[in-house]
Amino acid sequence: MNAPQQGFKERADAELKNAVLKIAIDRTTGNAERKRAVAVAAFPEFQAARARGRAIKDHVIAHLDHYLEMFERNATAAGATVHWASDDAEARAIITRICLEADAKLVTRAKSMLGEEIGLPHALADAGIERVETDLAEHIIQLAGERPSHIVWPAMHRTREQVAILFKEAHHPPPAADDPATMVQSARRELRAKFLGADVGISGANFLVADTGATCTVTNEGNAELTTTPPRIHIVTAGIEKLVPSTAHAFALLRLLVRSATGGEMTQYTTFHCGPKRPGDADGPEEMHIVLVDNGRTRMLADEFRPMLRCIRCGACMNHCVVYRQIGGHAYGGTYPGPMGAVLTPVLDGLAQSRDLPHACTMNGRCAEVCPVEIPLPTLLRAWRTRSWRERLEPRSVRAALGLWAMAARRPWLYRLGSRIGVRALRLFGRRGWIGSLPLVGGWTAYRDLPRPSGRTFMEQYRAGQAGRAGQTGREARK
Amino acid sequence: MSARDRILAAIRAARPAPLPPAEAIAAEAAALLDAPESVRPRPVEAVLAAEFVRKASALGTSFDHLPDRAAIPLAVKRYLDTHGLPPALALQPAPALAALDWTDIDTHDAVAPDQTAALGLALWGIAETGSLVIHSGADAPILLSFLPLHHIVVLEERSLLPHLEDYAARMAGQPQPRNAILITGPSGTTDIEGSYVRGAHGPGFLHILMIGG
Ligand code: SF4
Repeated sequence: MNAPQQGFKERADAELKNAVLKIAIDRTTGNAERKRAVAVAAFPEFQAARARGRAIKDHVIAHLDHYLEMFERNATAAGATVHWASDDAEARAIITRICLEADAKLVTRAKSMLGEEIGLPHALADAGIERVETDLAEHIIQLAGERPSHIVWPAMHRTREQVAILFKEAHHPPPAADDPATMVQSARRELRAKFLGADVGISGANFLVADTGATCTVTNEGNAELTTTPPRIHIVTAGIEKLVPSTAHAFALLRLLVRSATGGEMTQYTTFHCGPKRPGDADGPEEMHIVLVDNGRTRMLADEFRPMLRCIRCGACMNHCVVYRQIGGHAYGGTYPGPMGAVLTPVLDGLAQSRDLPHACTMNGRCAEVCPVEIPLPTLLRAWRTRSWRERLEPRSVRAALGLWAMAARRPWLYRLGSRIGVRALRLFGRRGWIGSLPLVGGWTAYRDLPRPSGRTFMEQYRAGQAGRAGQTGREARK
Repeated sequence: MSARDRILAAIRAARPAPLPPAEAIAAEAAALLDAPESVRPRPVEAVLAAEFVRKASALGTSFDHLPDRAAIPLAVKRYLDTHGLPPALALQPAPALAALDWTDIDTHDAVAPDQTAALGLALWGIAETGSLVIHSGADAPILLSFLPLHHIVVLEERSLLPHLEDYAARMAGQPQPRNAILITGPSGTTDIEGSYVRGAHGPGFLHILMIGG
């Protein structure tokens, strides 16, 4: 469905020449990185909370059938209709059928990456249904005819000036100025009538709460509630990995999610949606439908990519990724960009389509360090590389070079010595933290900078860091 | 085979051992909530109300402290005057609010699409995050909290809870409302160049009338 049209390298090349894009990405990811660091520093229990969050996700993944059935039972008892979809096509068919049977003309949608994953926007257009994206960033990219470039800030590749051009054309009346505040007011005015006139509202879910049957959304704008309350029908699309045993477990993960995503402690609106309008309720939809989507997830359950099912879609891995910050999200070509996208896209679109993605990684390990549920992203990317090698998807030149690498890798002392000498030599090339070109990996650094080595290899730094952290974790465990 | 059967069968095929009994799974899930104080932030203020005000104020929420409910209409009038707003208010259709003396304010229980100000009741406040809890119901329309530009909320100080888990515990095993919403500060967005703007789709102003003490 979402297979990249063009090669990754061509797209990355094009994006690297885009100076405006670089400014736009830096403004948002830089901010996110700083704010996350402050939020984590202000929460001394963060590492312990992280281990707990990981354990909660692992527990659910190990008993997924149990929790899915429990969720289905409770959601049904609350009056919702639960649907199951094996893949994107089934999910699209279910949703369009519900919309067409309801004779829906206008559908409002609150941002959901799963909706993008299953190709919902196109499916609604094909069915002749007007779709209005209500999240501000999604509104921007809908006007631009683009796809999200980040899972938390879908329009982060667009500068304020670019947004102003879009809004001036689409909004009636157009915004009076191009500062963010004026443009946000303009979108508020423009979308209000759509919210109240929609026949169906579609949202995603950050969590599915098994013991209540509720779906949980977290947003800052308030668009999710305005999307799901006025229409006659509310449809939720959610991946089957979104389950949590109870509301309290959702809160434990929420503490990690919000800090990791935006550096806040709590999103403005954390909403549990449990079934349709009750008899006598002042407002709310008459029908609630929940579409549980597999789309490759049960396959991951059975292989080495299982830890990826822990992902809570916070976006921290991409905010901290040197490659993402150079090329942005569109270059990845799939629904999900950055390190988590490089792991997920081969699952969703096939490895043959996306074998470049697991290679677009410096293995600096920052993504795994910041991941709130401890997903070993570099290990998973390496697993894709191995599989690509085994399935003979690599071009011959790469296979030859990797053969050499493998010889050294089987002799760890040789490999470590080689990389240590290499790293110290690299410092000579470094300017302001980034290396623009490097003799032996010319083809690679032509389209993205390597971070300047700090003089110690990552493994050396990592070990030093681990030694410090081990003591700290021990103390926390004893509390 | 239905999609449901296919998905459940694939999950079972991926598990080497049979599923443990439900009680064992529940016990494991409960153990994951043990020692909550080791995995959540510690309060800075010793007094619950002070911690709540500290957290909510940091997010741009304003406060007025009132001795009792009878003081609400005057406090609302004061707020509207301060912001140069007309003396009109969408009122949550709850008996506790309807019973008050609204002589000076034009109140109505329908909330308009471009509503300027609305007044509602919070069920609880959560000190850890500075959040208000509202539930949908017959006398609690959800749109009342989302359409207005100024959202004014009554919160009883005795309804403050220390942590998120305390709210979860209150609701465990209880009938769930259609919507249970934790409101944490006014609506906002950082979608344009990461710069923070208040009042995205929901209220741009959140004002809490805190009762008692
Ligand atoms: S992989 Fe980890 S850091 Fe990346 S989005 Fe998922 S949870 Fe967040």
